[in-house]
Amino acid sequence: MAENASKKKQSWWAPAQKHLMTATGYMIPFVVAGGIIFALAVMLSGKPSVPTTGNLGKLASIGSAGLALFIPALGGYIAFSMADRPGLAPGFITAYLATQIHAGFIGGIIGGIMAGFAVKYLKKIKVPNNYRTLTTIFLYPLGGTLIASGIMVYLIGAPIANFMTFLTHFLNSLSGAAKAPLGAVLGAMVGVDMGGPINKVAYTFAQTQVDTLPFLMGGVGAAGATPPIGLGIATLIFKKKFSPEDRDAGIAALLMGTMGITEGAIPFATADPLRVIPANTIGAAVACLSGFMFGCLNHAPWGGLIVLPVVDNRWGYIAAVALGSAVVALIVGFAKKPYVAETPAEEKAEADDDDIDFDIQQF
Amino acid sequence: MKIVGVTSCPSGVAHTYMAAEALQKAGKEKDIEVHIETQGTSGVDDELTSGQISAADFVVLSTDTSIRGTERFKGKKVVQLTTTQIIEKADALMNKLSKMA
Repeated sequence: MAENASKKKQSWWAPAQKHLMTATGYMIPFVVAGGIIFALAVMLSGKPSVPTTGNLGKLASIGSAGLALFIPALGGYIAFSMADRPGLAPGFITAYLATQIHAGFIGGIIGGIMAGFAVKYLKKIKVPNNYRTLTTIFLYPLGGTLIASGIMVYLIGAPIANFMTFLTHFLNSLSGAAKAPLGAVLGAMVGVDMGGPINKVAYTFAQTQVDTLPFLMGGVGAAGATPPIGLGIATLIFKKKFSPEDRDAGIAALLMGTMGITEGAIPFATADPLRVIPANTIGAAVACLSGFMFGCLNHAPWGGLIVLPVVDNRWGYIAAVALGSAVVALIVGFAKKPYVAETPAEEKAEADDDDIDFDIQQF
Repeated sequence: MKIVGVTSCPSGVAHTYMAAEALQKAGKEKDIEVHIETQGTSGVDDELTSGQISAADFVVLSTDTSIRGTERFKGKKVVQLTTTQIIEKADALMNKLSKMA
C-alpha cells in the first residue's frame, strides 16, 4: 500500500482497526438478536432473574444462543477480514475457545487476530499447483486452527481470563462517583467523531460487554443519541443561526438520534467543526456520565431512544439523553454566529477546492 | 470520465450510503459517470457489473472495513480513502481525478 507520512504513524493501527471494524459489523446482528430477545424474556418474566422454565425459558434460550455466538463471530470475522475465507473457521473456533475459558471479548479479539495471522502466513507456503486443493481443504483450516487455538488453550487463554475477571469485577465494583471518569471518557469518545473510528472503539468496548456489564451501554447508548438530537433541537430553538438546509437536516438528525445513529450529526460538524465537535463531545460525555450515575442498564448493543423497551431505569436513560442533548443544543446555539446567506462566489470557491491528498494504486 | 467505487463502514447503516451519495452527487455536477456499490448491513446493493468496472478510469474504495471482492479491480487505478474523507471531499476528489484522466 502506498503510504504517505501521516499514514506511516498509524501503519499498524489502521489495518488492525479495519479488521476489528469489519468484524464488529458482522457481530452486531448476533448481539442485537441475542441481547434483545434475552432481555425481553427477563422483562416479561417480571422477576429479576433469568427464566429457565416454560415458554419464557425457551425464549431466553433463543437469546442465549445469540449471545453465545457473538464472540466467536467477532473472532471469526477478524480472521476473515485478515486472511479472507480460509481465516473464518480457525477464527471462529479460536474465539469460541476463548469464550469457553472465560477470556471474554478480549480473548475473542486476540484469538481472531492469531487465527488471521496463522492463515495469512500459511498462505505464504508455496505449494505445487497439483497440491493446491490440499492446502485449501486441509492445511489452512487444520494448521490455522491448531496454531491459533493451541496458543489460546495452552498459553494465553488463562492469563487473559484472569485479566477479564479482574476487569469485569473492577468495572462492576465502580459505584457512584467512581464511574464518572469512565463515563466522561467513553461519552467523549462517542461524541468526538460521530460514528467514526474513535466512536466505534468506545461502542465496541460497551457492545462486547453488554451481556456482563449492561451499564456500559446504558451510558454509551444515551451518549450516541445526544449529538444528532442536540443539534436537531438547536435548529428548532436557534432558527436564525442555521441555513435552510441545516434546518431540514435538523429534523433528519432528530430522527437519526432517536434511532441511535450518531452519524446524523455529521452534516453539521462538517459545516462548522470548530463549534459543533466540541459541543458534541461535551454533550455526549454528559449523557454517558448521567447514564452511569442514574444506574441505567441497556441490554441492547445499540443506542438512541429506540432501545427503551430493553432499558432498566427508563426515565434515567431519557434524562441522560435530554441532559446531553440540552448541553449540545445550548453550546452550539450560543457559540454559532447568526446565519448569513453565502454569496455564490464564495460557494464557487469552495466547490473548486482541491484540498485532498491521495495516492493512486495499481491493483 | 467514468468512475466506479465500493463503500462500506462498520455499522453499515450511514457512512456507507452517505459516501456513495457524496460520490454520485459530485459526479453528477461534473458530468462524470459514477457507479457505486454499497456493502452495508443489508448486504451488497448496486453490485458493479464487469462492464462498468472495465470501462472505469478510476476505482474509489473506502478503507473503513474490508471491501469484499477487491480481486475484481485487478489492473485498475485505485484510490483508497476513508468514508469520512469521501463524504467531506468528494468534490475535490472528482476535480483531481478528472485532471489526471
